[in-house]
Amino acid sequence: MAGLDAMPVFPIMQGGAAQGTMLPSGTVALTDLTATPRFGLKGGGSAAWLTAYGVSLPAINRIGSHRGLRVLRLGNEDILLLGESADEALAELRSAWENDTGPKGYSSWRDEGWAWMRLSGPAVAEAMSRLCALDLRANKFSAEDIAQTRVGHIEAVTFRTPAGFDVLFDVTASAYFARTIEAVARHCTQHQA
Amino acid sequence: MNGPRNIDEFQSFGPVRETLDPAVTADADWSRHLFRAENRKGVVVEWWRHVPSNYFFLAERDLVSNEIIRTFDASQRSGQS
Repeated sequence: MAGLDAMPVFPIMQGGAAQGTMLPSGTVALTDLTATPRFGLKGGGSAAWLTAYGVSLPAINRIGSHRGLRVLRLGNEDILLLGESADEALAELRSAWENDTGPKGYSSWRDEGWAWMRLSGPAVAEAMSRLCALDLRANKFSAEDIAQTRVGHIEAVTFRTPAGFDVLFDVTASAYFARTIEAVARHCTQHQA
Repeated sequence: MNGPRNIDEFQSFGPVRETLDPAVTADADWSRHLFRAENRKGVVVEWWRHVPSNYFFLAERDLVSNEIIRTFDASQRSGQS
């Protein structure tokens, strides 16, 4: 079954359902990180398994780290690990989890169920203030905070990155999200001009 | 858990009700439990869900003024009906 090992096709990629969707790249830029490795665990036993593996878990709605991985605590038993620059550590953790036969929670399938997009650019703060009702200014929302809220009218998880903000949301809304950011970006550009 | 949010992030799951055992409940009481909803004034404890974080919690709401009096985690439910 070679097909099972094939790379998944995400909406904005070649062959995806939203292939050809333009990602804005001006004062507000959008980068699609959906294909970047990540691993989510959810359900009873998730936190205990990760702790036993050696991951020190942060408080709910806070971000921790483990061997270069970012550890997002979305709930008591809902944890998301983002690879990005630590794919090897993530792959090791994932295979350890897959080979474990004891209680270990459930895979929440975040690597395929969620899109991961990065907003950056000089007008990113203004764009986020239009997209999200929360106060995301740096003195209220630090680099270790997570907001589970609505961004661009869809349910999303957002947090700060050095470049701006990362947003995780239902992968089926990828094209909608890109169009929404584009509309907001156009408004921000006009506003500055 | 998440702090104050807009109401459109929340979904209502109705009032907290006592769970009756159908085997020991009289038929009339059981059908009342199944088919009739309470409609009184006062304060009610309801299940709510914060949709983006999928967090279920309880809220006390004044049925006359529609004011949310307080919200709390289900683990603090003792003493509520």
